[in-house]
Amino acid sequence: MSKIIIGRYLPGSTFVYRVDPRAKLLTTFYFIIMIFLATNWQGYLAITIFGLAAVVATGLKAKVFWDGVKPMIWLILFTALMQTFFMAGGTTYWHWWIFTLSSEGIINGIYVFLRFSLIILVSTVMTVTTKPLEIADAMEWILKPLKLFKVNVGMISLVISIALRFVPTLFDQTVKIMNAQRSRGADFNDGGLIKRAKSVVPMLVPLFIDSLEVALDLSTAMESRGYKGSEGRTRYRILTWSKVDLVPLFYCIILTILMVTTRML
Amino acid sequence: MSDKIINFDHVTFSYPDTESPAVKDLSFSIEKGSWTALIGHNGSGKSTVSKLINGLLAPDDLEKSTITVDGVKLAADTVWDIREKVGIVFQNPDNQFVGATVSDDVAFGLENRAVPREEMVKIVAQAVADVGMADYAGAEPSSLSGGQKQRVAIAGILAVKPKVMILDESTSMLDPEGKQQILDLVRRVKEENDLTVISITHDLDEAALADQVLVMDDGVLIDQGIPREIFAKVDLMEKIGLDIPFVYRLKQLLSGKGIQIPETVTSEEELVKSLCQLNLKM
Ligand SMILES: Nc1ncnc2c1ncn2[C@@H]1O[C@H](COP(=O)(O)OP(=O)(O)OP(=O)(O)O)[C@@H](O)[C@H]1O
Ligand SMILES: [Mg+2]
Repeated sequence: MSKIIIGRYLPGSTFVYRVDPRAKLLTTFYFIIMIFLATNWQGYLAITIFGLAAVVATGLKAKVFWDGVKPMIWLILFTALMQTFFMAGGTTYWHWWIFTLSSEGIINGIYVFLRFSLIILVSTVMTVTTKPLEIADAMEWILKPLKLFKVNVGMISLVISIALRFVPTLFDQTVKIMNAQRSRGADFNDGGLIKRAKSVVPMLVPLFIDSLEVALDLSTAMESRGYKGSEGRTRYRILTWSKVDLVPLFYCIILTILMVTTRML
Repeated sequence: MSDKIINFDHVTFSYPDTESPAVKDLSFSIEKGSWTALIGHNGSGKSTVSKLINGLLAPDDLEKSTITVDGVKLAADTVWDIREKVGIVFQNPDNQFVGATVSDDVAFGLENRAVPREEMVKIVAQAVADVGMADYAGAEPSSLSGGQKQRVAIAGILAVKPKVMILDESTSMLDPEGKQQILDLVRRVKEENDLTVISITHDLDEAALADQVLVMDDGVLIDQGIPREIFAKVDLMEKIGLDIPFVYRLKQLLSGKGIQIPETVTSEEELVKSLCQLNLKM
C-alpha cells in the first residue's frame, strides 16, 4: 500500500522513458495543438497514426491506455453523440423533432471522438512514462520565464518536490490512523453518505495534527542544514538534453508538415 | 581554550509565552574530538540545548549568555558560520528527509551552501558510499527503512564537513539492530572525520560508553563527569528518574550483598571477569 505514487508512473525501459521530461511535456502540448489543425479525414488519419505511434513506442500494454480513457468514456461518447445528432449537413438520413442524423453529423461525431481520445492518449503517454518529480522539474523549466515577473520559481519547485516526497509518508499515516480507528470499531465503508463522511472526521483530525508535526520537524531540519531561502542555492538535480530528444523533435516537425499539407487537400 | 570545541557560559533560554526558562544558567564545555552523552528525563531541555548549539534557538540575552562553537561566538551575524560547524541528526527518520531521493537529500545541505554542481556530484557520491548506501543512491525515501534513512541523514551531514555532530535521540525509533548499526557508523565516521559527537539519549547503556556524561534536570545541568563517576551516584540517578546502566545496577546490588567490585569495572565483560576472579578467591 505504501508504494502509492501520484500520477500513474509505470516503470519501463523503452526510449520514451529516456526522453527528457521537458521534451515530453512540450511534445504533448504541441500534439494537442496539432489535433486542432486537422480538418479533413486525411488530417485525422495522420494525427491518429502519430498518436498511436506514441502509444506503441511506450511498450506498455493497451490496458494501461484503456484505463486512461475509461473514466472519460461516457463524456466522450456523449459529446460525440451531441455532435452527431445536432449537426446537419450533407445527406440527411433521419430527422425527428430537434434531432438530425446526417452524413456531416456522423463525420463530425467521429472527429470529436478522435480528438478527445487522442488528447487523453497522449497525456497518458506522458504521465505513465514520466515520474511526478520529473514532471515537476519540467514544469519548473517551462515556468522559468516567470522569474522576470518576480515569481519565485525556485521556491515553488522546492515546495512541489517536498509535497510529492511526503505523499507516501502521509498516505502511510492515513492507513495507520484508519486501522487504529477501525480497531476501535469505526466503519469507513458502510452507511449512507453522511454516515461515511462523519466517520472520516475522526481520521482527519489526527492526520492534520500529524502533518503539522511533520511540517515543523521538516522546517527545523531544513534550517539546521543551512536552508536560508531559495535565493543563492545551486541545484543537484538537473535536466540534460540528449540525442534521444531528437526523436520528439523530428516527430513534431514531420507531424507539422503532415498537418499543414493535409489542410491544403 | 583551543581544545574546547563548545563552550556554554551562563546560558538561559525561554520559549516564547512560557513561564519558566527551558534552560537555566547553563555552563559547560565540550572537548574537541570527544563523545559526550547528554541525558535527562523527558522535557529536561536536552533538545533545546542541541538547538542552542547550532543557533536554531538563541539565548534570551546574548549579553549575559555566551555560546562559543569552534572559537566563534554565537551572535546574529555568526549564526550561519556556526551552523556550518554543527550538524544535527533528529529523532524522526522521515521528517528530516528533504530530498526526493537519497542523493538529492544528501545534496540538500550543499545546495544551500551554493556548492558548484560538479563538486556536489563528487561529494554526494562519496558521502553516500561512506555510510554504506551506494546501492540506494537513487532510491526514494518511501522504499527505505528507518535505519537507512538515518544513514542518509548522517551522509547529508558528513557532506558539509561539520566539526560537531549531534544525535538527538536519532536511534530511538529504530530496532536494536538498526540502533547498533547507526552507533557503529557514527563511531567510524567520527574517527575518519575528526568529529566531536554529542549524543542525546535515553539509552544509558550507550551513554556508559561516552567520554563524558552531562545530566540535565528541568533545564539545569545537575551533574557532569565520566560515566563511571556519574553512574556510581545511584541516588542521583534515581532522584531524576533515570535507570542506571545494567553493569552499574548489578554492581550496586552486589555491593548491597557485601560483594565489592572495583571502581574501574565499567563494561559487562570486565564485570564477568571480575566476578570469575572473585569466585576463584572464595
Ligand atoms: N517549541 C516550544 N515551545 C514552547 N515550549 C517548548 C517548545 N519546545 C520545548 N518546549 C518546552 O521546553 C522544555 C524542554 O524541552 P526539550 O524538547 O528541550 O526537552 P527534551 O529534554 O529534549 O525532552 P525529550 O526527551 O522529550 O526530547 C519542555 O518543558 C518543553 O515542554
Ligand atoms: Mg528532545
